[in-house]
Amino acid sequence: MSTAPLPVALNTFREAVRDRVLYNLVFFALLMMGAAILVGQISIGIDRLVIINLGLSAISLIGLVMAIFIGVGLVSKEIEKRTLYSLLARPIRRWEFLLGKYAGLVLTLVVNTAFMTIGLAAALFYVGRPLVPTDLLILVAVYFILLELALVTALALFFSCFSSPMLSTLFTVGIYITGCFAGDIRAFGELTRNPAMKILTRVISYLVPNFHNFNVIAFAAHGQRIPFSLVGHNTLYAVLYVALLLIAASAVFSTRNLK
Amino acid sequence: MSRSSRSRPRWTALLLIPLLFAAVAGLQTRIDSEMGSLTQLGDDLFLRSPSAIKTVSLGYESLLSDIYWTRTVQYYGGRFATEGATFPLLWPLLDITTTLDPQMIIAYRFGAIFLSESGTGGAGRPDLAVELVKRGIRSNPDDWRLNTDLGFLYYWRLRDYPSSASAFLDGSNKPNAPPWMKVMAARVAQKGGSLDTARMIWSEIYESNKDPKIRERALETLRGLRAEEDMQQLNLLADEYQKRSGRYPASVSDLRSAGLIAAIPVDPDGYPYLFEPDGKAALDPRSPVVIPKEIKTPPTPGHY
Repeated sequence: MSTAPLPVALNTFREAVRDRVLYNLVFFALLMMGAAILVGQISIGIDRLVIINLGLSAISLIGLVMAIFIGVGLVSKEIEKRTLYSLLARPIRRWEFLLGKYAGLVLTLVVNTAFMTIGLAAALFYVGRPLVPTDLLILVAVYFILLELALVTALALFFSCFSSPMLSTLFTVGIYITGCFAGDIRAFGELTRNPAMKILTRVISYLVPNFHNFNVIAFAAHGQRIPFSLVGHNTLYAVLYVALLLIAASAVFSTRNLK
Repeated sequence: MSRSSRSRPRWTALLLIPLLFAAVAGLQTRIDSEMGSLTQLGDDLFLRSPSAIKTVSLGYESLLSDIYWTRTVQYYGGRFATEGATFPLLWPLLDITTTLDPQMIIAYRFGAIFLSESGTGGAGRPDLAVELVKRGIRSNPDDWRLNTDLGFLYYWRLRDYPSSASAFLDGSNKPNAPPWMKVMAARVAQKGGSLDTARMIWSEIYESNKDPKIRERALETLRGLRAEEDMQQLNLLADEYQKRSGRYPASVSDLRSAGLIAAIPVDPDGYPYLFEPDGKAALDPRSPVVIPKEIKTPPTPGHY
């Protein structure tokens, strides 16, 4: 397999670090510290619950903002700065360039999420709670958040291949929100008595990436067991959908006139 | 880059994308069943305080209210007619919906039905239904329809006939209130608890509602009321028969043979009535007619 995407990926990661993207970690750290100190004073018996819910939600939200806003600029920024032309003059194919950019942003998100997870563990430690086996569920929830972010990044990259950053953001956010309600859309269709509406909602719910699949924050917070098969299926789902989006992005980008 | 090498990704995409879509759709059905096993925990309201939700809605209370109302309907619909189902989140959901949008009449009207129905049909909490409708009347003082709902709840669910009459009378003084509301108020005040009045109320519900489910429910109750009325008449005739012959009739044919009735009476579904050994008329076990339990059970003390 070609190693051409690797330098692009590392360069994308370095660029993100240079752009002080990881500064969000300071915000996360402050949020966790504040929550850890305050929660003991304003609530009774739900310290752990609040810290886990808040921490995982913040990891997801910060990651989403990064994935969307950096993702939509991955291609357009290179065109704007005219660095894309010098890159493509080298022996690298367009799909390899896209794959490299994608991998670079995912790497950034993984590093960022890893640091935030450490921050969450520190906050839990601060509230004086000993580690228990169900804490592994928090890692499962973090893993699901990463799968979600990988999917959102692919979505943003796909849109950025043919539209402006502004529109790409709107499209990505729109699909993300629709995907969060995919199950509800299908349930809504089931409640109506209109067969056409039933079919339409069913098709939409299967067509959009179902982000509800990755939301296990509440289960992790309550220490409810998450089936191992779900981890496997969600991983496969994310891999297949990311592959689908990257193939579509490559198809669009390879025929795009960059002059 | 040559033209053919540029079009290669497009062909690959055309071949692979439908296959990948089919694969993710297939996978989704498996994930759905796995997530389904976890939903018991997810079925909760993390933020129960309506005022807190209103504060964080950032001016989008109306939209949020629509979302909560949709969730309420889905919540109710998902449990309706399910054996052993309970509705613990129904009131909090309705509370949030109507706090976010106090003008959402539909939430008061249907919410009251969801709350007051008992068994597998609802939460069995007419007290909360009354509270919900009263709140609706406070927020929408010109809407007479909420008064009919309140009158109905007092009459049918709580058997508090003076309060029912008062609710109908208050509603009759509101703009555009139909004339029958005054009649209903007088009728309930004079003949609360009679089958006639119950039939009148359910007939109005049938006539004034467009929702097919409510109309169907009203029709079903009206059929039950008619059967109950028939059976009360048959009980009187059975007593008469007993006085004449010294025993209770074994069947309705005995009444006809004695010349007390001209034809064999049947229930609204066409099944002849039966007599129990104690001379009480009863429905044929095969008959789908249901006598409303509200008229079978004695009224709750303290409501008069």
